[in-house]
Amino acid sequence: MEFIDDEAGGGVPALRTSRLGRRYGRVWGLRDCTLEVPAGAVAALVGPNGAGKTTLLEMIIGLLEPTDGQVSVFGETSRADTAQALARVGYVAQDHPLYRDFTIADMFHLGRTMNPRWDQELAAARMDALSIPLQRKVKSLSGGQRAQVSLTMALAKRAPLLVLDEPVSSLDPVARLEFMRDVMASAAGTDLTFLISSHVVSELERFCDWLIVLAGGRVQLAGPAGDLLAAHQLLTVPRSTADAELPGTAIYRTDNDSPGGQHHTVLVRADPVQLTAQRRPGWQADPVSFEQLVMAYLQRTPRPGPTMKAVTR
Amino acid sequence: MIWVSWRQHRSQAIGCLALLAALAVYAILVGSSMRTAFGNDALTGCLARSQGTGCPNAVTAFMNEFGSEVNIAFWSVTLIVPGLIGVLVGAPLIARELEYGTWRLAWSQTVPRVRWLTVKLALVTGGLIVLGAAITAVITWYRAPMDQLTGHLQHNIYDFEGLVPTAYILCAFGFAVLAGLLIRRSIPAMIAAFIPWLAIRLVVEFVFRPHFMTPLTVQVNCPPTNACSTGISSVPQATGHIGDWVLGMNRNGFIYQPADRFWPFQFIEAGIFVALTAAALGATIWLLHRRAAWTA
Repeated sequence: MEFIDDEAGGGVPALRTSRLGRRYGRVWGLRDCTLEVPAGAVAALVGPNGAGKTTLLEMIIGLLEPTDGQVSVFGETSRADTAQALARVGYVAQDHPLYRDFTIADMFHLGRTMNPRWDQELAAARMDALSIPLQRKVKSLSGGQRAQVSLTMALAKRAPLLVLDEPVSSLDPVARLEFMRDVMASAAGTDLTFLISSHVVSELERFCDWLIVLAGGRVQLAGPAGDLLAAHQLLTVPRSTADAELPGTAIYRTDNDSPGGQHHTVLVRADPVQLTAQRRPGWQADPVSFEQLVMAYLQRTPRPGPTMKAVTR
Repeated sequence: MIWVSWRQHRSQAIGCLALLAALAVYAILVGSSMRTAFGNDALTGCLARSQGTGCPNAVTAFMNEFGSEVNIAFWSVTLIVPGLIGVLVGAPLIARELEYGTWRLAWSQTVPRVRWLTVKLALVTGGLIVLGAAITAVITWYRAPMDQLTGHLQHNIYDFEGLVPTAYILCAFGFAVLAGLLIRRSIPAMIAAFIPWLAIRLVVEFVFRPHFMTPLTVQVNCPPTNACSTGISSVPQATGHIGDWVLGMNRNGFIYQPADRFWPFQFIEAGIFVALTAAALGATIWLLHRRAAWTA
């Protein structure tokens, strides 16, 4: 696939937000959000319900206007609700909304008339590969099939950035896996950038190479998944060890250890060199898993965060 | 967008055509026999020559046979039909998208939502104007003989002819589209739009319409042998001219609006309802444009 934005060069990030914020009345749904996602990345946006994920995604798409800051897609500032901003982002909304009394062919016809770069061949070929007849009515489709039709519409729009909001939360485990595999297959061999939100970490772990952790309306952690994993260690240290004695930054200290245990497990942000230099006898260092990393950052965020679902719905 | 609008409103369009077809069949069946009877009784010439005073028996016979066609109770109920058409078409236009979450799909394609809305509104409004004009044409044709006896400035006749039926439909439609955006649910939006529509409709009809233009006064001028009256199809009319709309009496005579004010009245009343429609639809477009600033 080729996109207009190819000419912009490899250095322009697919997505950049700077001090992006959005307030609903007196509550901030998202605040001071600065991040970058490089072109071609498959980025996971992880956070609990009400963390501000949908708020962030809707500002990226142009459905929502920021209260503060800016969002740019492939180097161009998105203003809410302009054709240029809308053309740059393909969107798979939560729960995969489609018109119930439309056939799939009707949905694609809608896509064709509402998107100048619509790829009908791609859309038809995908339905063919999934053995879903185009004459089926939307209301007769299973949840997994609806998700596939939604994804197909977003892909056929031929936007360089695809935003998927909780794409698998309404699916059963088998359909979840199939859907994510399908997303990966469509990403392979293209320069498409994906931003996929979820409140379940394990769904995204094996598919994503970029990680953004959002909680309480703020970005807690963002970067390449591999680098982030390498930069964090799980240290098992004596209970008496103060944070100041630890190498790097202590992120989260677990309270639950073995009965009568004299040790704590602490997640620290420290590179291996730092760790080796400051390591003391009796400390045990372990690599951290994707899920442990995300959970540590989520758990250290004060609760309760602002629950935006109640406001946005 | 044109195809999308058509596809989403296709079933409503078919429903409206079915309604129109049923009305046309009824109008042709009853209207034809009414025309035949009117011609047989040679009423046209009599009415033109003498305002009906020369042929009271023929008038009475015609009214006995077809008088129920101007039955006030029936047409009073029918006056809500334009409102029902308007709210049924208008309320789901935005509310259904909000109810089913499909706004996220509709407004994330490469068409800004204001354009999405204006194209839809233009096409649906156009369709409703065609429907209103067609309904009005059918009713006007069907009632043409009767109107020669009654004029068409009276309540329940005026409201189904000329420009106002279409304007009533548009106004209910505009209110319902706006209510759908504000309330976000189709059925409550229909109710919320219909009630003010009906209130305004009745206030305009009974409070403002009699004073659109300054009424005239005429001396009571009845032949002593032939008591005259002011009701629909009474011959002879107390004002001396069929179709005058008598508002009341004072010591100088009857206060009335002359029959030839039909078109000025139609333009004034249609203007009021079209202005209300424009205000409601303008507010809807502005609110949808600003919606990104308040909530997605």
